[in-house]
Amino acid sequence: MVGEEMMMMDPSGLKAIGAGLAVGLAGIGSGLGEKDIGAAAVGAMTEKEEMFGKGLIMTVIPESIVIFGLVVALLIS
Amino acid sequence: MRLLQKIRRKSRSAQNRGSSNYAYATARVRAMKSNLLPIDTYPRLMNMGINEITRFIQETQYKQEVDELAREYTGVDLIEHALSTNLANTFSKIIRFTEGELCYLVTEYLRNYDIWNIKTLLRGKYYNAPVDEIKESIVSAGQLNYSFLAGLADMDSYTDVIEGLKNTPYYTVLKEFDGTNLSDIENMLDQMYYSGLFHAIGGLGVSDRRLLSTFIRSEIDIKNIRTLFRLKKYTIEDEEEIPQLILAGGLELKMDDIEKMIPLSTEEFGQALEKYSYWKAISNVVGSDMDSLIALETELTKYSIRSATKFSHAHPLSIAPIMDYIVSKRNEVSNLRIIIRGKASNLNEEVIRNQLVI
Repeated sequence: MVGEEMMMMDPSGLKAIGAGLAVGLAGIGSGLGEKDIGAAAVGAMTEKEEMFGKGLIMTVIPESIVIFGLVVALLIS
Repeated sequence: MRLLQKIRRKSRSAQNRGSSNYAYATARVRAMKSNLLPIDTYPRLMNMGINEITRFIQETQYKQEVDELAREYTGVDLIEHALSTNLANTFSKIIRFTEGELCYLVTEYLRNYDIWNIKTLLRGKYYNAPVDEIKESIVSAGQLNYSFLAGLADMDSYTDVIEGLKNTPYYTVLKEFDGTNLSDIENMLDQMYYSGLFHAIGGLGVSDRRLLSTFIRSEIDIKNIRTLFRLKKYTIEDEEEIPQLILAGGLELKMDDIEKMIPLSTEEFGQALEKYSYWKAISNVVGSDMDSLIALETELTKYSIRSATKFSHAHPLSIAPIMDYIVSKRNEVSNLRIIIRGKASNLNEEVIRNQLVI
């Protein structure tokens, strides 16, 4: 019975799940990356305020992974 | 399977000490290191008078301490106090912003300032040094705070100081002091510090503990080489006394090797050192005409700074950058102190320059 239901599942639903996973997992990945970079940036900024600009740029670099995820999600759907 | 064991081991250590904030701590320490005085500052300081140096230092990271202490002290005393207080504040700050395992290991390492302070107090009281001079040399970067140590410095005699330290772990060694064996007590305190430190580091399963252990063992080697050169220069050959002055647990120079080196002459000792990695650093200054050990000691300190920096580059997210900063900061304060004391005693510029570790 279960197998039959699986077979009848709408492919667009699977696409939506795939798109969700692409964005969600990319978000988690970049979050993990940003966690340490952000901490390091704050640490450096505490001692040298002029590190703010560099720190900010470094912190958002992993954000590009989410953009890849978003692009993949758009391509899927 | 090995991975599983590694994860288990990591989680066990995390239970013990909590997780560490490596990214934050190492980045902050690196930023702090970039705030240290650049090398080209020292020649400029050499051309300044005491007041100019005070003003210069007031514009750097020592500002807060100089401002606070300016009401109580002037001239050389002001700078000395400001340097000691800044060193203590900086190291206490490191302990405050590190977490978990990292904090634990740094705290254990910085206990050497407790030993330093106890030695300062004992020596000061033993030779009846003025209270102000004793307080000047106190660096409260360890677990004993400044007000407690200053209170001890105000006491009348060394027996009172020892009684005041009754509740500390050092009392077991200090109670052996009978008024004649100060150097023995000092050696025992050093040995107690290192054995306590190795005990605290414990198993070397965690990479940070392994790194700290390597760092400390290399530090012990350098101390032993320095001690051996001093013994040879002053031709001390007392077979009972020498082993007490040697610290166990070196990285390259094992106890057996050192025992073989003790009866050698300075020249032979130099040759025996050739097979160790420290030789490269001191080969230029070791020779038969070693009237002064200043050059040798400077080279050894330079080597320890260089190797700490190399260590921190090889292990960027570990305790190594923090140890590197501690070594560099300590050296900066020592250099400033040399310049100031040298200037105050009207020493020749060349003599002061030779003492500096740049």
